[in-house]
Amino acid sequence: MATGTRTQYQEELERLEASALDGLNLVSAALQRTLEAVEHQDVELAQIVVADDDRIDGRYLEVHQSLITLLATQSPVATDLRLISALLHVLKNVERMGDQCVNICKVIPLTGNEPPADLEMVALIMGMGKQTRTLIGQAKRAFAERDVEMARDLVRQDDFVDDLNRDCFRLAIEIGDDADKREWAMTMLLAARAIERIADNAVDIGEQVAFVVTGLFREFEDASHPTT
Amino acid sequence: MDVSRDSTESAPMSEARPDPQTDPQTQSGFTAPTVAASGSAQGSTTRDRGVGTVELKQLNAYYGSTHAVRGVDLAFESDKVTAIIGPSGCGKSTLVRCINRMHEEIDGARADGQVVLDGLDLYDSRIDIVAVRRAVGMVFQKPNPFPTMSVFDNVVSGLRLTGASRGDIDDRGREALVGAGLWEEVKDRLKAPGVGLSGGQQQRLCIARALAVEPEVLLMDEPCSALDPVATLKIEELIGELKQRVTIVIVTHNMQQAARVADTTVFMLDGELIEVGPTDKLFTTPDDSRTEQYVTGKFG
Repeated sequence: MATGTRTQYQEELERLEASALDGLNLVSAALQRTLEAVEHQDVELAQIVVADDDRIDGRYLEVHQSLITLLATQSPVATDLRLISALLHVLKNVERMGDQCVNICKVIPLTGNEPPADLEMVALIMGMGKQTRTLIGQAKRAFAERDVEMARDLVRQDDFVDDLNRDCFRLAIEIGDDADKREWAMTMLLAARAIERIADNAVDIGEQVAFVVTGLFREFEDASHPTT
Repeated sequence: MDVSRDSTESAPMSEARPDPQTDPQTQSGFTAPTVAASGSAQGSTTRDRGVGTVELKQLNAYYGSTHAVRGVDLAFESDKVTAIIGPSGCGKSTLVRCINRMHEEIDGARADGQVVLDGLDLYDSRIDIVAVRRAVGMVFQKPNPFPTMSVFDNVVSGLRLTGASRGDIDDRGREALVGAGLWEEVKDRLKAPGVGLSGGQQQRLCIARALAVEPEVLLMDEPCSALDPVATLKIEELIGELKQRVTIVIVTHNMQQAARVADTTVFMLDGELIEVGPTDKLFTTPDDSRTEQYVTGKFG
């Protein structure tokens, strides 16, 4: 039997996977800048993140279109079909993660020019952001290496983000009666919530890893039917 | 079906059943259904459940010293379309040609093992090969209408050999053309030469010819490879309509065609059955890495 057929198609599929996963690098960089903008109330940096989101959207559109073309012209099946289906999901996750960074950056001007009202809360958000960047990197690696165990571990990592998010909520409640402080805390809660969603998107990517490898789609955690 | 040697000339097929005293299948409690028991295949849109089931048991086929099909165990379910895929030379055409015993027509070719249709071993020495070919019709890659015959004569050519009455022939010929989705296109040119039809129509004419003798199984060996996309789609739609009245086994190089028409897909390689399963599973999550490699085009 002949071997090594469809080389161009395979190379194109590999290129598109690399390009889609590189979208996670773009998101990770955007999140890093977003965290800096939050920490230093840097409105200009926040504007750069908002403007730069076009790159993430562009990556989404470009790879999405190329995957549709592959579907239309190459009739992929089996692992190739599962990979393309998963990549379409990953791209959507990447695009949503980018948008969450934009959401955070758009509320930074609302925090005003006063120093942060609660440094502990800022530290919590920085911790959430750092942990979420770890999740993004781990999701990318699990996908590239088709490592289901590493993908499943994202759930455990995500629990830390959820815990920090709950701590933020508690601090916001306890922040006192000062109207400005309360407004600041509400804004920070929006940022915390957005970061928590980015981490959830990383877990979703992990579920796609399991789908590519096993052919079965199962949510790692069912939010509507929690086990604990 | 009745394919016992004595029945084909004198007794109507529907009245002749295997002798329970001598037939090994009936002795084991299995009674082969007859054509009559399954209803008039073309007149009705369905048949009794389970009629037309084909089982291959340790089937081997050879061309001289070449072992083309190697110990295949496989069942073709009634009311289902089964596609056989695999690279050139994998034995898929040879395998289907064993089902109606056409394989042995080639010099030096032989087969062993069992092909069991509704409980009867078609390789049993008492089996009448003509009756086997009637029960198991075949459509080939290239349409092959009889060149000297009209459209209608082509369809009923097999029926005439059975000694059917003229009225019966007219009715069943028309039903076969309706069944093959060709009636509306040819009803005003039944006397015209069959070879005057388009390629797609000629292939459906061959399907009608196969259907006219009310087979229980229809083998299709690359039936669309010589047809344009529109004619191909018509045949594929026809396959979907016919599967309730005849068990269909289709050999195809076109994996998308297998994916479109087949309920079950079989992957063969080097004469061996590698994997068989529901078509959607075989094309999304095949179990065997060789299947995966073939369907994704990594070899072939």
